Amino acid sequence: MAAGAGTAGRLLRLRAAGAGGRWRRLRGAGVPRGFLQPASAGEDTAQSRRVAHFTFQPDPEPLEYGQTQKMNLFQAVTSALDNSLAKDPTAVIFGEDVAFGGVFRCTVGLRDKYGKDRVFNTPLCEQGIVGFGIGIAVTGATAIAEIQFADYIFPAFDQIVNEAAKYRYRSGDLFNCGSLTIRSPWGCVGHGALYHSQSPEAFFAHCPGIKVVVPRSPFQAKGLLLSCIEDKNPCIFFEPKILYRAAVEQVPVEPYSIPLSRAEVIQEGSDVTLIAWGTQVHVIREVASMAQEKLGVSCEVIDLRTIIPWDVDTVCKEECFLNLEAPISRVCGYDTPFPHIFEPFYIPDKWKCYDALRKMINY
Amino acid sequence: MKGQPPVSPRRGAGHRGLLAKMAVAAAAASVWGPSRGLGQAGLLLLRRTGVRGLARSQPERQQQQQQHFSSLDDKPQFPGASAEFIDKLEFIQPNVISGIPIYRVMDRQGQIINPSEDPHLPQEKVLKFYKSMTLLNTMDRILYESQRQGRISFYMTNYGEEGTHVGSAAALDNTDLVFGQYREAGVLMYRDYPLELFMAQCYGNVSDLGKGRQMPVHYGCKERHFVTISSPLATQIPQAVGAAYAAKRANANRVVICYFGEGAASEGDAHAGFNFAATLECPIIFFCRNNGYAISTPTSEQYRGDGIAARGPGYGIMSIRVDGNDVFAVYNATKEARRRAVAENQPFLIEAMTYRIGHHSTSDDSSAYRSVDEVSYWDKQDHPISRLRHYLQSCGWWDDEQEKAWRKQSRKKVMEAFEQAERKLKPNPSLLFSDVYQEMPAQLRKQQESLARHLQTYGEHYPLDHFEK
Repeated sequence: MAAGAGTAGRLLRLRAAGAGGRWRRLRGAGVPRGFLQPASAGEDTAQSRRVAHFTFQPDPEPLEYGQTQKMNLFQAVTSALDNSLAKDPTAVIFGEDVAFGGVFRCTVGLRDKYGKDRVFNTPLCEQGIVGFGIGIAVTGATAIAEIQFADYIFPAFDQIVNEAAKYRYRSGDLFNCGSLTIRSPWGCVGHGALYHSQSPEAFFAHCPGIKVVVPRSPFQAKGLLLSCIEDKNPCIFFEPKILYRAAVEQVPVEPYSIPLSRAEVIQEGSDVTLIAWGTQVHVIREVASMAQEKLGVSCEVIDLRTIIPWDVDTVCKEECFLNLEAPISRVCGYDTPFPHIFEPFYIPDKWKCYDALRKMINY
Repeated sequence: MKGQPPVSPRRGAGHRGLLAKMAVAAAAASVWGPSRGLGQAGLLLLRRTGVRGLARSQPERQQQQQQHFSSLDDKPQFPGASAEFIDKLEFIQPNVISGIPIYRVMDRQGQIINPSEDPHLPQEKVLKFYKSMTLLNTMDRILYESQRQGRISFYMTNYGEEGTHVGSAAALDNTDLVFGQYREAGVLMYRDYPLELFMAQCYGNVSDLGKGRQMPVHYGCKERHFVTISSPLATQIPQAVGAAYAAKRANANRVVICYFGEGAASEGDAHAGFNFAATLECPIIFFCRNNGYAISTPTSEQYRGDGIAARGPGYGIMSIRVDGNDVFAVYNATKEARRRAVAENQPFLIEAMTYRIGHHSTSDDSSAYRSVDEVSYWDKQDHPISRLRHYLQSCGWWDDEQEKAWRKQSRKKVMEAFEQAERKLKPNPSLLFSDVYQEMPAQLRKQQESLARHLQTYGEHYPLDHFEK
């Protein structure tokens, strides 16, 4: 039996570039343990070991926020949460399994440090988690709720859209739940299939009253999460789970904030604009290099960061319809649920983005 | 302990040191029967605390795993329940014929049944109960009519349920936070929310603190700790629990009360709220107004169990059923629940049995699904207002003359507020755009400016005369 088999439950190996083999428990996912076999030396690596569809590109070490430390994305999240609980005595963190550290280790050490009344498990009920969080925020305390996977946010949709988003407006600003932040692991992970891979930000993108944020890296994650927690409006913070371990860079130890509703132009360019958020930013960065190398095309690369309210001005300097030389191209997953074995074909990888760019240049 | 599986430390596990030592001692000994190796005292302690009382450390667990398993004591070891074994196959029969009894203090004629349950409230307070209920009733009649006449768009009356509002509100502190559903206007009335503001919200005029954003009866008042109502049902239940948790953390000595109907109690949010309140030990009162109908749906189609009170114990919640038309019963139950909820940090569930005398709303005609006789019975034979009036009269605190004078006075007050509310303008249309976020985003400001420009050209097609410039 493989090591670690003493732990009950179903375990899947999480593979991502640079991650090494790790055992990770995914809710509902199952692989019968008796069928594990060692991969033979001469076997095609593409069959037994899939390489991630992107390469994480760390940003240069930030110098303006004091001492930095090497952190991966989940450690950056822990750091942000640690800063928040240290600074704000009303702040509490809650959700399923957060007490022992969380299924992605984002809350490791926080319960011991801040106490069981501040970092605690809730029953298994997303509509309850968000409703409860709204109630805490209504009293003015800071509520940081975790939804274990973005795929499970839907039971809380009513509380988010009908309640949290509308609390201030419908009460004429007598009441609000601005001190609520909802965090949730998000996006494709290589083997997550229908219910551990979803990116549901589009469902919230047209809901006035909430903010939705997706970081591309540990440094961005900590700064944006701190901004969400400080922000006086209810925020949803989606954390690309495939980056939790794969993304490593220098992150300031002290708190700092990155503004919401401001896209970042991470590479200037003159011929084509590429826009993405989360993991996909790294895909399009690579596409920009490919375009420069193979086609001599200069790409502008933008990380949108906040989905709603989004930074219209950075993305189109003015009403840009008449200025476009080719129609806008959207490269995304197909209009199907997120498949398991077909993931390599489903995702908008660099080849599909590159091909769309090539067609656009030749329009 | 031999024969017992390892147990993770539980919240509230006590006697750790002593029992851990005993566990090691027992494991080391060669134990066959329950009385050997442990000693009687040890066994007694084990039986009292149960398996959950034992905290386990790693070395003990490994030691125990190496031992031969045998049954030390034939008690269930499951972490999920604290119960005995039974060897007879028996399903528990839900008892709906003889359900949880209904606590009352007054009979239907307003006479105290058991003098020791009489709260002996002072005259002034009981008169306030009566005047709040009757003023609400008067306001309901006038505003219902005003909707029929097209003056306001919508209204919901509180007929028959005034006792549930006033009895419970009176038992709370003024700073206790209230989360309501939509049929609790009497709580605000008891907290002296002015008629002017009730009307302002229904008319959506410039005086509405809610800035005209919601349909009538969606009241809210920060000053009086009454969270603004929203239309979706039961959403307030888990929110109230979160607020109670925050109050507990803040050592505020406040309770949160959460009102909802028996229909809303079917929603998932109700289940969520109950479970969270119990597991997270929140100082909250869940107050269910069981009025017999959810629009047209009678309780026989809403649930099959013994109402809502019977669900409380399933969550580990202290529960009671009361006569909602008996304002003193409501008062007593709420008072005691409040005292204990705050002192013990645990939730309480009060199911107040009552009857919805009015239609669900102005959009409903309940003669389509119930008989006039049924409604008339409750209106004439078991009404919270008349029961209290009988009590007042028998105390010598009220009489027919005062009744006549008060009816005239309260009607006059309501009519004055009503006429004033009618005359006021609606808020400036620019208020359509604020408070979406704390700050107005650039895109929204552009939309606001775009509307202003649009009205300059097309203003004649809009009811601008009724709105503030």
